[in-house]
Amino acid sequence: MTLSVHARLTCRVAALVLLVLTAAPSPAAPQQARGFVGSTVQFVGLRPFALGTEGCGAEPVCYRTGSREVAAMASQDVGLTAWGLGVRGLSATVLVRARQRLGGDFLWPRTDDPVDALLAYAELARGAFTVRAGRQELRSGLGFPSFDGASLGWSGRAFRVEGYGGRSLARGLREPADEALRGLEDFLPDQGVYLLGAAAHARPGRASLTARYHREILRDRSGLASERASLDVSTAWSRATVRGALDYDLGRGMFGKGELTVGVPFDGARWLVEASVLRYVPYFSLSTIWGLFEPVSYTEARMGIGWAPFPSLTTRASAGVRRYGDAGTVVVLRPLEDTGRRASVDVDWRFRAGWSLGAGYDLEWGPGGFLSSGEGAVRWAPSERLRLTVSGRTFQQIEQYRLGDGRAVGGGFSAAFDLTERIGLSGGGSILRRSGGEAGEGDPWHQSRAWSAVRLRIGRDPGVARLGARAGEGDR
Amino acid sequence: MSDSRSARMRGKTAVRLRTAGLVIALLSAAGVASLLPAGLQEVDFPHEAHAGLFPVCTGCHANVPDGPAPAYPDADLCARCHDGATLPSVSWSGPSPEPTNVTFDHAAHAEDLARAGDPALTCESCHSEGAGPRMRVVDRAETGTCFSCHAHLADDHLTQATCDVCHVPLASTAFDVTRIRALPLPDDHRTGDFPGGHGDAAARETARCATCHTAERCLACHVDVDNPHIGRVPAAPAELELPPAVAAYPVPATHADPAWWSLHGASASAGACGTCHTSTDCVACHVEPAPEAVVALPSAESVAAPGVRLRRDAPASHEGAFFMEAHGTLAAADERSCVTCHESTSCTECHDAPAGASHHPPDSVASHPAVAFGRADECASCHETTVFCRSCHVESGLGSSGRLGAGYHDAEPVWLLRHGQAARQNLESCVSCHRQTDCVQCHGVLGSFKVSPHGPSFDAVAAWGRSPRSCLACHVGNPLGGPG
Repeated sequence: MTLSVHARLTCRVAALVLLVLTAAPSPAAPQQARGFVGSTVQFVGLRPFALGTEGCGAEPVCYRTGSREVAAMASQDVGLTAWGLGVRGLSATVLVRARQRLGGDFLWPRTDDPVDALLAYAELARGAFTVRAGRQELRSGLGFPSFDGASLGWSGRAFRVEGYGGRSLARGLREPADEALRGLEDFLPDQGVYLLGAAAHARPGRASLTARYHREILRDRSGLASERASLDVSTAWSRATVRGALDYDLGRGMFGKGELTVGVPFDGARWLVEASVLRYVPYFSLSTIWGLFEPVSYTEARMGIGWAPFPSLTTRASAGVRRYGDAGTVVVLRPLEDTGRRASVDVDWRFRAGWSLGAGYDLEWGPGGFLSSGEGAVRWAPSERLRLTVSGRTFQQIEQYRLGDGRAVGGGFSAAFDLTERIGLSGGGSILRRSGGEAGEGDPWHQSRAWSAVRLRIGRDPGVARLGARAGEGDR
Repeated sequence: MSDSRSARMRGKTAVRLRTAGLVIALLSAAGVASLLPAGLQEVDFPHEAHAGLFPVCTGCHANVPDGPAPAYPDADLCARCHDGATLPSVSWSGPSPEPTNVTFDHAAHAEDLARAGDPALTCESCHSEGAGPRMRVVDRAETGTCFSCHAHLADDHLTQATCDVCHVPLASTAFDVTRIRALPLPDDHRTGDFPGGHGDAAARETARCATCHTAERCLACHVDVDNPHIGRVPAAPAELELPPAVAAYPVPATHADPAWWSLHGASASAGACGTCHTSTDCVACHVEPAPEAVVALPSAESVAAPGVRLRRDAPASHEGAFFMEAHGTLAAADERSCVTCHESTSCTECHDAPAGASHHPPDSVASHPAVAFGRADECASCHETTVFCRSCHVESGLGSSGRLGAGYHDAEPVWLLRHGQAARQNLESCVSCHRQTDCVQCHGVLGSFKVSPHGPSFDAVAAWGRSPRSCLACHVGNPLGGPG
């Protein structure tokens, strides 16, 4: 197995961090550390599609399900936050994942990337200032961008500003985009991308709002990869809660996603009604051609109602209608749908001590697909340390543009057992069997999945201990 | 009736009369005693019987004018007359000292009077009943006696800030538990907000607190053991037994604001929070590494007072029926609020978790197509769709091979003629299987059909200015005619 330059660098950084944490002289040894070590093994068996000539009827070639294939992988996660490193306000955080293909007929996604540092940064908090350096991830209205670099934040009484910059990483992959996409995509820049950004956060009264600006530029400054800004707000007005989000793609000169939701509780919060207006348009890097195709947005109106008649019973229902913008394309024969609808209901009922029932139904139809899906699960916790779940599911799926329509029925189970206060075991499995469809039983894509995990907790989780007031006796 | 019988009857009658007389006498004595001023009763010495012998009080209490020392005569003085020959000998030794927290100096008091030009007081002024004959009833002076002159202080005696003028701190007394419990409760202690608002008064009038309390009472609740005001309240000596104390932590008015939990960080400091809270309370929610205000507080294990013991409960926003759908926007609006309670790694742990621990249900892969079309979840927030989706689709046989013609989209007739609208509406879905070259082979200027993929509002100049590299995927040189 050969490692890429990036993977080797990641390994070295992770090893260095662990070395510092474990082998540093006594005064620098972490006074406190909290985190986890988790190991997961996953298995899947399925029948991938294959392009062939048999069973295609009048067509010369077609996609059909192939022979059954299986694959398995293991992943090892280590997450650790350590502080008290000899410098007041200094902490270090790492979240490292190692993946190993255990065998099988096909390559499990991402197992070609054996070691991945999802997070690896040091943070120094001094007074109103916070400095962070290393691999970081932002939770923002612009998604979850990651970067290798530094950030500096200043916090006032109800105001916070921060600036950050560094080498931009492909979203969800934590690798430079040109390296991560190589072999899968064309016309990629053969150089890195720098990310520069700033955010301002304020808390006026009961509101919270964050404004953010991102700019990604190619290393040789020959062009932009992205330039975007976002505004996210949450506030409360009387009993109502309001949250809103809007981003603007300065690179393409257009608004991106947007949301405005108002929620109002009634009857002592046993009822909650939420109304939303949403807008969605995908975002693509300017270094690809996708944005030049000018994808259109859709606007959706959505209503949701939550009802909790008893503390042990909660129900939800929601429905929405979305309409796509004019694609501006030549219409041949008849246009495709430009309206989508969705609805869902679900219920969670703790019907007796240790037992609960969850069930839901989702309906989705519109351009590109149709889904009618129902699922239910019974959960039983015979003790605080053991939790068992049995679930069932059925759905009908029609994909307007694709193969694979049909009905499926499946079931699964999962179990979790706390071996000790720090060690937890879990595992589960599920099967899905196709029960119909245009291609009939002769073209099944049955799936079977299984997984098991062990998780070791390091350090103390604050707040887990339920502490009561200690009272004295007399009166003076 | 016989004489003997009559004599017995007279005898019984006499006994009854004597008994009744005794009862009446006792009742009368008790009634008279009850009429005496409360607390002012004859001490264990028959002053009135000796009134003729001692024309002045200082004959026996000679050291009274000199100071506050015990002012009782020695038994030798009694023995001068009660020598067993002239008069029967006695064993009187004076009253035993009674614990008190009153400090009074006869000489100083006399000097104060003289300095103020007030008439001097006699012994009877304070120690005898004013209306009775001299030395009829003699006892220690009572507080009420003081107020016969200091009437302007009588109404709010228990709320005076200058208690130490007359009283010593509780820690300097020899009171027992019963006596401490009997200390009167000032009226201002009865008000509803006193427990929570006593801090300012205590800072101004520490001596007043110390009159009835020792530092141990403060530290029964206060976790800020280095509070300077508490340091000025004397601690109880080992021999002073104190009643046990109950810790009480009234909720300050500021905490009543529903938004308090989200606002308290701005004003948090060791000084503001440290009266009731230890850092253990803070880290019930705040994940480490904790803010500086938390670090400045002692831990619960290091203080004697129980402190308010908080536990981590989800904020009200988390109880909403649609919280999971909402939490992304809430986090984007106020990420720092999230990381107060959640590890900075927790988002990644869930959003990028292995099977079984992810927010995606285990079978989501099978049913995700329709959900992905509708973007109920924004896949691109977490996934690089051109890699994450495509790499899996390639493995499952769905990745494009670059060929055109029937096959995957064969469920839809004349697909190629209609795919433009589908692409504009769901381009992310196209990208999850297709490479850019799949499109360029037809749409590029060197492609098969040279069909422009640009929409009606396409701004070619702006596009070239932003990223000419992407234009050159389809065009040969600058399509605007300028330098390429």
